[in-house]
Amino acid sequence: MVPEVTEQYLKVIYTLTEEGGSAKTNDIASKLGVSPASVTEMLHKLSRQGFIDHEPYKGAVLRGKGIRIARKMARRHRLLERFLADFVGTRGATNHEQACKMEHALTDETERNLCRMMQRPESCPGGRRIPKCEGRTTCDRCTSSDVPLELIEEGQRAIVSHLVAQDRDKLCEMLSMGFVPGTEIVVEKKLPMNGPIIVSLKGTKVAIARDSGKILHVVKSR
Amino acid sequence: MEIAIAGNPNVGKSVVFGRLTGVGVVTANYPGSTVEYSEGRAKFLGFTMTAVDLPGTYSLAGNTDEERVATKLLFERKPDCVIAVMDSTRLERNLVFLFELIESGYHVVASLNMYDLLRKMKQEVDVARMERILMIPVIPTVATKGEGIDSLLYTAVQIRGRSKFKVRYDSHIEEMIRRLESSLREEDWDYPLRAVAVRLLSGDSNVTSKVTTEVCRLVEQMRDEFRDTHGEDVVVHIQRDRFGEAGRIAKEVHGGLPAAEIGSRLKDITLRPAFGIPILIGVLALMFVVLVFVGGFIEGALVSAYEQTAKPLFIDFGAGLNNDLGRGIVEGVSLSIEAMLALVIPYILVFYLMLSVLEDSGYLVRIVSLLDSTMHKLGLHGRAVIPMVVGFGCNVPALLAARTMRSRRERLILAVLITIAVPCSAQTAIIIGSVGKFAGPLWALSIYVILMGMLVVLGLAMHRAIKFEPTGMCIEVPDMRWPSLRQTAVKTGIRLKGFLTIAFPLLLAGSVVLEALLAMGVLQQLLAPAEPFMLTVLGLPAFTTVALVFGILRKEMSLQMLMILSGTSNLALALSNEQMFVFALVMAIFTPCLAALAVMLKEFGAKATVGIAVASFSLALVAGAIANFVLSI
Repeated sequence: MVPEVTEQYLKVIYTLTEEGGSAKTNDIASKLGVSPASVTEMLHKLSRQGFIDHEPYKGAVLRGKGIRIARKMARRHRLLERFLADFVGTRGATNHEQACKMEHALTDETERNLCRMMQRPESCPGGRRIPKCEGRTTCDRCTSSDVPLELIEEGQRAIVSHLVAQDRDKLCEMLSMGFVPGTEIVVEKKLPMNGPIIVSLKGTKVAIARDSGKILHVVKSR
Repeated sequence: MEIAIAGNPNVGKSVVFGRLTGVGVVTANYPGSTVEYSEGRAKFLGFTMTAVDLPGTYSLAGNTDEERVATKLLFERKPDCVIAVMDSTRLERNLVFLFELIESGYHVVASLNMYDLLRKMKQEVDVARMERILMIPVIPTVATKGEGIDSLLYTAVQIRGRSKFKVRYDSHIEEMIRRLESSLREEDWDYPLRAVAVRLLSGDSNVTSKVTTEVCRLVEQMRDEFRDTHGEDVVVHIQRDRFGEAGRIAKEVHGGLPAAEIGSRLKDITLRPAFGIPILIGVLALMFVVLVFVGGFIEGALVSAYEQTAKPLFIDFGAGLNNDLGRGIVEGVSLSIEAMLALVIPYILVFYLMLSVLEDSGYLVRIVSLLDSTMHKLGLHGRAVIPMVVGFGCNVPALLAARTMRSRRERLILAVLITIAVPCSAQTAIIIGSVGKFAGPLWALSIYVILMGMLVVLGLAMHRAIKFEPTGMCIEVPDMRWPSLRQTAVKTGIRLKGFLTIAFPLLLAGSVVLEALLAMGVLQQLLAPAEPFMLTVLGLPAFTTVALVFGILRKEMSLQMLMILSGTSNLALALSNEQMFVFALVMAIFTPCLAALAVMLKEFGAKATVGIAVASFSLALVAGAIANFVLSI
């Protein structure tokens, strides 16, 4: 676990360096509302831990694991801003402050569901692009890893993202068996000779013919 | 009073039903559909009640045949109480179905079935809490052992209230429901307006057909609007909210993980190709062996016992009548009794027992899954394997097994394939007993090759002709479990009764007519016009005609008749190898026997039955003619 303050610093550096260049100490200080001296001290520490490259007078650049954490924080922050603006209906600078606090409490699952619930927004209310999600929280549109069920390998887990069906009856049948978006499934077995796919859904095994498997679009997880 | 028993498939609904009811269980197809349901009576605390076992469904939305039948039955019968049977180890999905029942305003009692499995995994459900949340009685039961059935019945008889529990949908959907509710009138509907609104939104055709065009247009507009703003059909969201709610409740009353997740993966070797396919072949071979050999053995024993005891009585009685017609009738009765003995106990009973075990153990679904793709090539579903294999034993149970197919078309294709191209054990007996014995095994083998070729060609041709894709399946694969003795017996009993009522009268009538005609000497005269045809086209002597006709009554009889009519048991003296080959080939394809026709009549109706009978009749003659032509060159 990374301390909250580290997450905060990394996010700010990400925001400042998004269009290229490096983040200057003074800019970071004004964004965070702290003194430049404490920023310098923190940057040394982050550099020692390998989150950033820091050259005095030139500024800080994210590296390696720093980028990953920063991107995730920025993503959560902007998703939350979007949520507060569009769904909750609050406006103004308080959204930014609240999002700053809430972003650290979000779990991966919440982040993913939030993103889906809002129809995968592209940008925050301020117009900044929302970074795509990555890692095990892969979410549908972001990495466009949403694939038909038949492309999932045996033994892999996947999450139902949506159902594509011309045939309403088929759609409803699958829904009522529990294939609703957000449900995790495991592809247990793909029977040979184009046989059905055996999927385990909350402990229940279901055999789905390959052609019906096209209805189910899923996202790989883990 | 009426009680309906509803629930998901594989939750033990019919076991509960079997426990509730005693005698007088009737199983029937719902008019105009292939879906079966059972109905029975029970007495309890001075009430006489009718229990209806609805087909197992995952929802009441009316998207599959089963769902349509279940909804219609609930609607028509207006049961005083609905028992919702639930699988305790799969609370979440079962709760969703329960929600629909509650939403539709039925007086619901939930039966938490298979509670022993839960106990075995050292888990439990907080029943009191579940009752408080759902506001309905919840009773843990173990139907296979009869636990909790009494209190279930007791509660079901007494319940007089609707639950006030509601699933909360998201605000957009709730808003639409409110708008719809206000445009509907309560007195037009038998169930709560909320349920009507939800069903309208999910596009349930049972409901949409009953509202005014105005409301219909409103619904359409709402659904389009929803799809535009949310990018998904409103049904998806309705179901998602239901599952969300179910998940929350399941967590609250159960806490633990879904029980079945434990170790279910590796244990199931029946689905791993390396083990599964050998196991599958083993099971199918065992079925075949049991039907052909064990069935054949029982048949032989029963028939010889009958011949030694009751048959002479009939013959003496018939001879004593001194009247050709009377003798014919008496012998016809005797013959049909013999046929029933030879058919029902060895083949039908044995088959039904096996089928019931396969179903209840959960293996049937595995067979279906493993062979689905292979059967698709013949235009069939994986389920078709069972009838095919069974057909090598006896066509009658094979045709009965065809009812496990989902659509009528598949059932029809299968029926044609079985009756025409799959030789039953009696046909095998003819092939082996005539051609195989007197002309040599190569001749017999070539008949089988021709038949298998016909199977593939016919299958492919019908697949092309009856334009249709086998329904893409999506079925639950239940855990393997030991079938209960009681349930197997009950199921077999019900099915056997259904078969007897249709097959016996037909067999009796057919036997009496044929025997009477033969006894009066009319049969030969009636068949006389066909003799030149037989001779020139098929190259068969005149007496074989009678043998062929008797083959319609019972296939194995035609060989006996052949020997009686030719006056020798060494057929080689009466017929040449070529003639025997043609005869055996014609018999193998020929019109199915009366019992099989009776079953077809019951399952497919008169038109299809006549069609298949005529088709197989003419195909047999054509095949015979071609064989005769080729062999005589």
